[in-house]
Amino acid sequence: MLTLTKDRALALAMVLIVAVMWVESGDISPPTSWQPYGSALFPRILLVMIGLLSLLILVRSFLVKVPERPGAKQLITEWFQSRRTILALFLLFGLYAALLPMVGYIAATIGFLVASLALLMGINTRRKWMINLSLSCTLAIVIFVVFRYGLNVWLP
Amino acid sequence: MTNFFLQALAEVGTPSVLGLIVIGVLFGIIGGSIPGFTVTMAILVVFPFTFAMDPVSGISLMVGVFVGGYSGGIVSGVMLGIPGTPSSITTVYDGYPMAQKGEPGRALGIGVASSFLGTIISVAVLVFFGPLIASFSMNFRPWEITALIVFALTLVAGLSSGALLKGLMAAALGLLITTVGYDRNSNLRFDFGLPALGSGFEILPVMIGIFAFSQLLGNIEKLKDEDSEAKKIDTNVTIPYGQILKDMAGQKLNTLRSSLIGSLVGALPGTGGTVANFLSYDQAKKFSRHPEEFGTGTPSGIVASEASNSAVAGGAFVPTLALGIPGDLPMAIMMGVLILHGITPGPMMFEQNPVLVGAIYASLLIGAVVMVLCNLLLVRWFAKISLIPQQILVPVVLMLCAIGAYALNNNLFDIWVLFFFGVIGYLLWKAAVPLTPLILGVVLGNNLERQLFRALELNESWLTFLTRPLSALFLALAVASILFSLYQDRKIQRIKNAALRENA
Repeated sequence: MLTLTKDRALALAMVLIVAVMWVESGDISPPTSWQPYGSALFPRILLVMIGLLSLLILVRSFLVKVPERPGAKQLITEWFQSRRTILALFLLFGLYAALLPMVGYIAATIGFLVASLALLMGINTRRKWMINLSLSCTLAIVIFVVFRYGLNVWLP
Repeated sequence: MTNFFLQALAEVGTPSVLGLIVIGVLFGIIGGSIPGFTVTMAILVVFPFTFAMDPVSGISLMVGVFVGGYSGGIVSGVMLGIPGTPSSITTVYDGYPMAQKGEPGRALGIGVASSFLGTIISVAVLVFFGPLIASFSMNFRPWEITALIVFALTLVAGLSSGALLKGLMAAALGLLITTVGYDRNSNLRFDFGLPALGSGFEILPVMIGIFAFSQLLGNIEKLKDEDSEAKKIDTNVTIPYGQILKDMAGQKLNTLRSSLIGSLVGALPGTGGTVANFLSYDQAKKFSRHPEEFGTGTPSGIVASEASNSAVAGGAFVPTLALGIPGDLPMAIMMGVLILHGITPGPMMFEQNPVLVGAIYASLLIGAVVMVLCNLLLVRWFAKISLIPQQILVPVVLMLCAIGAYALNNNLFDIWVLFFFGVIGYLLWKAAVPLTPLILGVVLGNNLERQLFRALELNESWLTFLTRPLSALFLALAVASILFSLYQDRKIQRIKNAALRENA
C-alpha cells in the first residue's frame, strides 16, 4: 500500500491544483490576430512547469526508502490531532474575519484577542485573565485610535 | 545627485520624518531582539502604517525598521544567548561568552559600534554602485529583463538548501498567483466566478499570509518542544565606552572586510544576513592571529558578525533600486512598499525619483546614528522586551496583520485573501517548501509576464533570448545555478548516505 509522506502529499495536491487550473484556463479568451500569444499562454507555461516538478518530486519520493507507516486516513487524523492549537487559531482567525463587518472592529478584535490569548496562555490563574483582558482591550483601542485619528484610516 | 541628496536630506531632516525614523529604528530593534520574530516580520507589521503617508515618510519609517531590525539581534544574542534573528547567529558565539564573563556591556557596545560602521560602509557601497549598475542596466531591453528575472528566481530557488525542485515549484507557484484577475489585454483569468478576484490579489495580503502565518504558527509549534519557563536575566548593563573605543581601534581591517562581505552578499539574490554572517565570521577566523579565541568571547567575532549582517541593509538595496529585483524577503517587502507608493524600482528610479533615492540614503545614515543611540541608551529595556512570550506575541501580530491587510484598500476581502494564503503558506511550510522563492515570484510575476510578451511582440522568435548576448548570459547563469544546486544536493545526499552506511 502507498505510504503517505510529506513529499507525496505535496506532489499529489499540486497535481490536483494544476488539473483544476488547467481546466479553468480553458475559459480564458483565445488568442486573436492582434494578441497572437493569448492570455492563457503564460499561466499554462507555469502550470506545465509546476506539473512536471510535482511529478519529479513524486518520482523522487519513491526512490527514498520510507519506513512502514499507518494508512493515509490514520496519518491525516493524527496530523490534525497533534495540531489542535494551530487549527483552533486558524478557526479563530476565520471567525474574526467573518465577525469584523458584523460587529465592528473593536468588539471583533477584543473577542479575537481574548479568545486566542486564552487558547495560547491558558486561563488557569486570575493573573492570566487580568493580563489577557487588559492587553486585549488596551491594544484594540490603541490601534483603533492610531489608525482612525493618526492615519485617517477607517476601520470597520 | 548631490543636489538631490541635499534636497532629500532636507525632507528627511524634518521633525516628523526624523520622529518616524526613530520609531522605525525602535520597533526594528524590538522586532530583531525578540527571538523568532525576525526583521521581516517587523517590516510586515509596520508596513500598513505607511499607507496614509507620503512616499518619503513611508520609506523613511521602513528604512528605520530595516536598520534597527538588523542590529536588534545583538540584544538577545548577548543577553540571552539566543539569536534574535537568523542573521545574528554568530553574534551569540562570542557575545554570549563575553557577557557570561561579566562583560555584557562591552559585548553590546562592540556589537552596536560594528553594526553602525557596517551600515555606514554599506551605504557608501550603495551610493557608489547603485547608480553605476542602474546606468548600465538602462540598456536592458525586455529580453534581458526577462532573462534577469528568470535568473534571480532560479538562483533563489537553487539556494533553498537541499530543496531545488520544491524551490523551483514555489517560484512558479508565486508567478502563477499573479496571473489571477484581468491581464494586460483586459482578459479575465482564473476568477472562478468570484467578482472579487477580477482585480487579482494584492501583493501585501498574499505576502503577509504566506510568511507571517507560517512563521508565527511555527513558533507556537516550537514552544511545545522548548522550555517555556521565562529566563531570568540581569538587565543592569553599563557600557564601558573607553574599552569599546580601544577594542574597535584594533578591529579596523576586520570591520572593513566584514562590512564589504555583508554588502556584497546582501546584493546577491537569495542570500541575505545569515549567509553574510557565517561567511564573514569564517573569514575573520581565518585571517585572525588567534583563531583559537573565536567562540570564547573575542571582540573580533562580534565585530565580524555584526558589521556583516548590518551591511546587508545597504547592499540589499543595490539590486532592488538599480534593477528592480529584490534579493531577499525583507527587500521584496520593501519593493512592495515602493510599488504601493506609486514608485517602480528599477534603473529609471534614479532618473525619475532621485529625491526618493536620496531619501533612502539619508534615512539609512540617520537610521544608523539613531540605532546607536537607542541601543546604548535603552539596552536594558530591549533586553526586557525581548522576553515577551510568543503566546502573547502571536495573537497580537495576527491581529495587526489582519488590520494591515484591510487598511490597504479598506476592503474586507483582503483579510480573507490573507487567511487563504496563511493556510497555504502554513501547509507549504509543513511540506518543507521554501517560501522565499514563492514570495519573490509573487513580487516579480507581473513584470516577468509584461517583459516576456513585450519581447515577443517586438520579435516573435523565442530564439532572440539566446541570440542577444546579455540575455543569453543571464539564461546560461540560470541554468548554471540549477546545475550547481543539483550538484550540491547530490553531494549532500552522498555524505548522508555514507554516514548512514557507517552507522549501520
